[in-house]
Amino acid sequence: MPKRPPENPPSSFQVSRRTFLKTVGVGAAATGLVAQGARPAETAILGPDAVPFTLRVNGVRQTVTVEPRVTLLRALRNHLGLTGAKEVCERGACGGCTVLFDGEPICACLMLAVDAVGHEIMTVEGLGTPEKLSPVQAAFVECDAFQCGFCTPGFVVASTALLNKNPTPNLEEIKAGLTGNLCRCGTYSRIFEAVRTAAERKG
Amino acid sequence: MAEQRAPSFQVKVGPVENPVILEVHPAPGDIKPWDLDSRLTQVTGRHPRLEGAQKVTGRAQYTYDVRLPGMLWAKMVRAPIPAGKIVRIDTSKAERLAGVKAVWTTDAKQVRFAGQDIAAVAAVSQEIAEDAARLVEVQYEPGPFVTSLEEAMAPNAPLVFGEGQAPAPPNAPRNGNVTGPVVPPQLGTVRGGSRGDIEKGFAEANTIHEATYRLAVHTHAVLETHGVVAHWEGDQLTVYASTQGVFQVRAGLAEALGLARRQVRVITEHMGGGFGSKLYPSAVGSAFAIVACRLAKKAGAPVKFMLDRHEEQLCTGNAPGALMAVRLGATADGTLTAIHFRSYTEGGIGQSARTGGPAGNIYPQCPNVKLEEYEVATNAGPTCALRAPGHPQGAFGFECAMDELAHRLRMDPLEFRRKNDSHPFRRFYYDVGAKAIGWERRNTVPGNPPGVKKRGIGVANGNWYVLVREAVAAEVRVHRDGSVELFHGTQDIGTGIRTALAVIAAEELGLRPADITVHVGDTRFPPGPTSGGSVTTNSSGPAARLAAHEARMRIAALAGPLLKANPEELEFADGHILVAAEPARKVLFREAAQKMPGEVIGCLADRKRQFETVRQDLAATQFAEVEVDVETGVVRVLKMVGVNNCGIPINSLTAENQLIGAQIQGASWALFEHRTLDRNVGTMVNPNLEAYKLLGPADMFEAVAIFTEGANAGNNTSATGMAEPVFVPTLAAIANAVFNATGVRLRQLPMTPDRVLAALAEAGKGGKA
Repeated sequence: MPKRPPENPPSSFQVSRRTFLKTVGVGAAATGLVAQGARPAETAILGPDAVPFTLRVNGVRQTVTVEPRVTLLRALRNHLGLTGAKEVCERGACGGCTVLFDGEPICACLMLAVDAVGHEIMTVEGLGTPEKLSPVQAAFVECDAFQCGFCTPGFVVASTALLNKNPTPNLEEIKAGLTGNLCRCGTYSRIFEAVRTAAERKG
Repeated sequence: MAEQRAPSFQVKVGPVENPVILEVHPAPGDIKPWDLDSRLTQVTGRHPRLEGAQKVTGRAQYTYDVRLPGMLWAKMVRAPIPAGKIVRIDTSKAERLAGVKAVWTTDAKQVRFAGQDIAAVAAVSQEIAEDAARLVEVQYEPGPFVTSLEEAMAPNAPLVFGEGQAPAPPNAPRNGNVTGPVVPPQLGTVRGGSRGDIEKGFAEANTIHEATYRLAVHTHAVLETHGVVAHWEGDQLTVYASTQGVFQVRAGLAEALGLARRQVRVITEHMGGGFGSKLYPSAVGSAFAIVACRLAKKAGAPVKFMLDRHEEQLCTGNAPGALMAVRLGATADGTLTAIHFRSYTEGGIGQSARTGGPAGNIYPQCPNVKLEEYEVATNAGPTCALRAPGHPQGAFGFECAMDELAHRLRMDPLEFRRKNDSHPFRRFYYDVGAKAIGWERRNTVPGNPPGVKKRGIGVANGNWYVLVREAVAAEVRVHRDGSVELFHGTQDIGTGIRTALAVIAAEELGLRPADITVHVGDTRFPPGPTSGGSVTTNSSGPAARLAAHEARMRIAALAGPLLKANPEELEFADGHILVAAEPARKVLFREAAQKMPGEVIGCLADRKRQFETVRQDLAATQFAEVEVDVETGVVRVLKMVGVNNCGIPINSLTAENQLIGAQIQGASWALFEHRTLDRNVGTMVNPNLEAYKLLGPADMFEAVAIFTEGANAGNNTSATGMAEPVFVPTLAAIANAVFNATGVRLRQLPMTPDRVLAALAEAGKGGKA
C-alpha cells in the first residue's frame, strides 16, 4: 500500500515531458505532436503512433519506442524483456505488476510508460539475481512463500518496499503493507513469515 | 534388467499410532516400498523448491512470458449475450487495420452463454489486437435465456439445450434443464455410494435432521490466465501452454488440427495456477489454443494468445454452485442410521461435478444411504473440475447437516463424528486437531458468548480417493562427471513436483536434491501424468524412484571394483558410495561415475502398477475458529487447523504449503467468492478481481497444517496425493464455527455480512432484516 500511481503526477511532470520531447529524436517525436487549440501552446500531445523515449529501469537508461497509450507494465514486459512483473487483473486490484516508482510500490498496469520518464523504476529483476538473491528473495525461497509463483514478483517488490519503510514490522503492519497483493494458491502466512525472516536478517 | 517374477514384500504401514504389517505384491521389476521402518534422509524433509531462485527474481518463464521473434498477439471477440443466434460476423474492418495479420471466425450458429468464442484476430502488438477485436462487427438474434439455478428448474424455463444437445450423460433422465439422477463415476476403489434402505434407516432413527444448503458458483480465478504461444516450423508445431497436462494439450491439438502427435510438442516450463481449469487443450468454454494454432499457420508467424482477466472469469470453467437437500437420521446414542443426499448443481452449459462423494464415503459404516444427483443447465459459462470436484460443495451440505444433527442429539459434534468414523487414519486426527485448535474453548451452548464480537469453533471432515496414472515413466541420466538429470513429462503447477522428484532420486542415489537437475513440462520427455485429482506425486514419484534405483545399480556396479566389494554390499549416502559393513571404505559418487564406459548412463523406468494398500480413500479433518460481529455481520476466520495424512510425505515443506493454501482458498469461498450474473441481461457482473473478491492478506488467519505420521504403501514411495482432500472440509468447518459462535445456522455461502445479519434477525438474535 499504496499500490496506485500517485494521483497527481509529480509537479515537474509537464515540464519534464516537454523537456523530454525536446531532447528525444525530434523527427520521430514530431510526427506525434499535434497542437490543440484550447490548450497552452507548449502542452504536447503524443501519439497515436509510437514515439521513442528513455526510461530508467533498474539503474539503467533504456530507450523504448511505443505508442503513448502503452502502460508501463507492457513497456517493461513487451519491449524491455522484463517479464517479472505480471499482468493479472489489469486494473490495480491484485498487485501482480508491482514495481518501485521512485521507491514507492505502484501497479505498473495503471501507469502509462511515458509518465515514468524521469523517474526511477525498479522491477523484481533489479532487486537480486538467482545467484545473488536479496534478503527478501532469499527468505521467500527458504520459507517456501509461494506455490505457482505467479504473484511472487509482486509480493517480493511490495515486501521490499514495506521493509524499506518499516524495517521491523509486526504482523498487522505486514498484512497492511501487503494488502494490495493477491495470491490464489494461498501462501499468505508463508509470505508473512518470509517478511519477518528478512526483517530479522536485516536487523 | 527387470526381474520377471512378481515380488512380494512385508511392509509396516498405516498410521504410526496403529501400524499394520502388510504383505504387498508389486508388479515384476518394482522394488520394496518405503515404509515406517525405512531410514530416510531426504524424503519427509523440508526442502525449499529448486526453482525458487528463478521465481523470486522474476526469471521464471511462464507461458505468459514467452516472447518469440516476429510473434503476433491474438485477441478473442466474445458473445455479449447469453443466448441467441449468430446472424453475421463481419471482420472486414478489423482485417483492414494496419498490423492485423490473420482472423478467425466461429462455425457455431448458436450462442449459449455470454463469453462464447465468436471471432479472433492476430496482430503485431497487443494493443492493435485489442483495437482490431473492437472492429469486428457481429449481429445476433437474441433468444430467451435463464441464468439462475432456481429459475432454470422452473417448469416453463427457457431451454438452454435443445433435444440431444446437452453435455450431460445421455442415459440420464432429462426434464427441461434438469438432468438426473445421474450415476456417479467410480473414483478409485472406494466404498460408499447409495446402499441399504433409507426408509428403514429413518424408521430406526430417534432423531432426524433435514435442511437445504446452497452455495454460489466459485471461479478458479487463476492468476496466470489461460493461454498459449503457438509456433509452426514447417509442419512441426511447438506450443507453449499454461496447462496442467502437456500430453493432454498435445493430444487435443493434434486431433483438432489433424496432425500426428509426433508433430506437436507442448512445453510448460512454469505455470501460474490451474486448480482444475487447465485440464483441457484450450479451456472448457473456449477453443483459444486451437484458434491460436490456426492463426499462426495463417499468418506464418508465432502467435501468443493469452486470455485477459475478463475472459478468464467467463469461459475457463468454474466450480458449480449447488442446492443440496440433506436428510440424516441417528439413534439416540449418535449412530447414523440413514443418509439421504439430493443435490442440484449449477454448471452453466457444462457437465457438473458430483457432490455426493462426501455423503456417500466419509462414514462408510452407515448402512443406509441414498444419493440423488441432478445437473441443471443455465446460460452461463461451463463448469469444470475444481480441486476435488463437487466435494467441497457436497461436504458443505453434508458436514453442516452432521453438525446440526449433533446439536439436535445434544452431542459434541466431534464425538458424534468420532462415533461414526472408522477410517484408520482419521481416527487419530480428532485428538491432534482438537488439541491444536483448543476444542475445549468452544461454546458448549452455541451463541452464548456475550458481546458484539462472538467467537466460535467448528469442525468438519472431508474425503478424496487414491487416484493414480500408471502409464507414466521417468528417465534418470548420470553423466560422466557425476552430475545427474531427471526427465519426466509432467508439469509443475505450483505443487513443487520438480523438487519432489529430486528428493526421491536423491534418496536413492545418496545425493542432495539440489544435485539432481529435474526437467519437466515437455512432451519430448517420458510420459507424465496430467496434474489433477491429486495424482501427480504418487504417479510420478514411483517412476522417478525406479529410474534412480536403476541408475544406482549401474553406479554400484562401477563402484564395486573401486571398493573391492560386491555391489550388493554398498550404500549410497552423503555423496559417497560406501561399504555398508565398513563405512570408512568409500568413494565419491562422481569418482564411481567417472568409471562409466561412455559419457552418459541413461535409465528409463516405467511406473509399475499400484498395489494393495492400507486404505484407498483419503481423509481430511479441519477445525475453524471464527469471530462474528453481530452488529456488522462481518465474519472473520481467526484460525484454522488442518489434519491430514498423505502416507510418507515426500517434501513436508511444500506439502504443508498446499494444506494451508486449501484452507485459504476455502475460506475465500466461504466468506467472499460469488460469481454474480445479471439476471436481466445474462452477463457476469464481476468478471474481475475487485468485485469478485478473493481473500487477501488483511483477511488472513492463523493457518496450522498438520500431517500425521504414517505410510500408505500402494506404490514404492508409500505416498498418496493430498491437494484435493485438504480442500474438502473447509467450507463446512467455517460454517459450523459460525453456528457455534452465534447459535444461528447459515445454510448459504458465501457468508456475506448481509446474509449474516438477515439470519441473525430472523433468529431474533440481533442484526437487521
